[in-house]
Amino acid sequence: MAAGLLELGQVFAVLAVAGAAALRIGLSVIPLYVVSGMLAGPFVAGQVGLPYVSDGELLTVLAEVGIVLLLFFLGLEFSLDRLLAARSRISRAGVVDAAINLPLGIAIGLALGWSIVEALLLGGIVYISSSAIVTKTLIDLGWIANDEADPILGTLVFEDLFIAVYLAVVTSLVLGGADAGLNGLGRSLAIAFGFLGALLIAVQYGTAFFSRVLDVSDTESFVLRILGVVVPIAGVALALGVSEAVAAFFVGMGFSTSGHQERIERLLTPVRDVFAAVFFFWIGVGTDPRLLVGIAIPLVAVVLLTTPAKLVSGYVGGRVYDLSERRSLRVGLGLVPRGEFSLVIAALAAGGSTAVMRETIPALAVGYVLVMSVVGTVLMQRADRVEELIDRLRPGTSA
Amino acid sequence: MTVYESDLPGVGKKHEIDLPDGSQLVVVTHNEGRREVFLRADPDTDSEKLFELPDRLARQVGTILEGAYFQPVKSQDIETLLGGDTLLEWVDVGEDSPIAGQTLGESDLRAETGASVVAIERDDDVISSPGAETTIHAGDRLVVVGTRENCEDFQSRVEGA
Repeated sequence: MAAGLLELGQVFAVLAVAGAAALRIGLSVIPLYVVSGMLAGPFVAGQVGLPYVSDGELLTVLAEVGIVLLLFFLGLEFSLDRLLAARSRISRAGVVDAAINLPLGIAIGLALGWSIVEALLLGGIVYISSSAIVTKTLIDLGWIANDEADPILGTLVFEDLFIAVYLAVVTSLVLGGADAGLNGLGRSLAIAFGFLGALLIAVQYGTAFFSRVLDVSDTESFVLRILGVVVPIAGVALALGVSEAVAAFFVGMGFSTSGHQERIERLLTPVRDVFAAVFFFWIGVGTDPRLLVGIAIPLVAVVLLTTPAKLVSGYVGGRVYDLSERRSLRVGLGLVPRGEFSLVIAALAAGGSTAVMRETIPALAVGYVLVMSVVGTVLMQRADRVEELIDRLRPGTSA
Repeated sequence: MTVYESDLPGVGKKHEIDLPDGSQLVVVTHNEGRREVFLRADPDTDSEKLFELPDRLARQVGTILEGAYFQPVKSQDIETLLGGDTLLEWVDVGEDSPIAGQTLGESDLRAETGASVVAIERDDDVISSPGAETTIHAGDRLVVVGTRENCEDFQSRVEGA
């Protein structure tokens, strides 16, 4: 008992220091949480004989709660009405984004000689921008009040919806299908969509239920009731081999219509952030920095190919919103950071059966998120200089 | 005046207000209540952040902008709303006030204005529940209760208007 508490204490102490460092240097907390996990884990602290945090069951469960809450919040924020209201523009910008970046990632995976499922995982990792990092940077830079905020946030909404469907499919492919043959694959997909379909129906017609669950003025009961609904449902999903993240997303959608959305966000955001921090830490703990060295070459290739691709897709998305060239470029820059969802996919891949899924993809994803979260934020901060540079490189312009 | 409202998924709401000079005021209301206020000189320039306020303060500033009264604090010129239409007000007696030197009874202020003197602040002392025989001196500060109209009448009588 004492050992577990001490280890957990170490996790929070290290996270607190990493968070302070992030504030100090003006970077996103996500890369620093991941790195702090790597440093405090068995591969660094453990190697040099310091007390280290092991990748045990306790940390894994807390990290799972982090994934569940991240996706729960996505569902909470997700509004079908909003999506429908802006469907033509959002879906055009979103489709451009998906049509360029997802296939690019899949193509890179195939070029590395990976299987379809492995390449599909890489596609998701390079496609999904980080809602957390992008939104925070938009606010920090004041872009949130400008016109570029609309296509950026709209594209993030589209990606969020996409990732729900994507995770549902990919989870069954990774957990159920890979070694069970076509039959097993069919069965696991059927279970996944059966369960998620049932959940979706419950969410659609369960507004009264969700409202009643939340009809309590006591803050503590309110928070506990939400966790008491979303965590067990996610647990059942995982036990059935269905994506716990997607189940949490649907529960979030259910709660979003309960009329308590703002209160949930106000009270549960700190809870989510604590568990999400543990999730990022856990990703770091499971990452051997030596593996990062081993994947350095594909990592550089992936970064060099996917950064311009996001710039192009974001630029086109901005033009779809009738923005000027300058603001459209910012949309591209604004979508470069990758973070939490790439890591969620990596965590999913780590449960796979092949060496590529268990080792290469998680390591690649961690390296990729470390690079892209920093590169993306810096590109946004230096948007003016990027613009000058592109003007100079472009043939036929006066600059 | 045109106000545009838009959703900022994951952040909150944005209101853009056209100003007469062609610029735009942009108010971003975060889900957790914080307000950020920006000014955009014209549609092509970047929004410049003017200030940011926490939820509660933003509401109070909004009330002031709206011209409504709220949480008045005792001070020389500010009245305190007791509820309903009744005010607690402080009225200074000047050197040339017609009531200086009179007793409360002689001044007949209550009968004429409807407002009553509930206390007199004189130098560092407070005379509470002054009677009809209490004399008002120049330099006194009278603590008065009445409707807004009573208090205004009272003020003009004391000032000799």
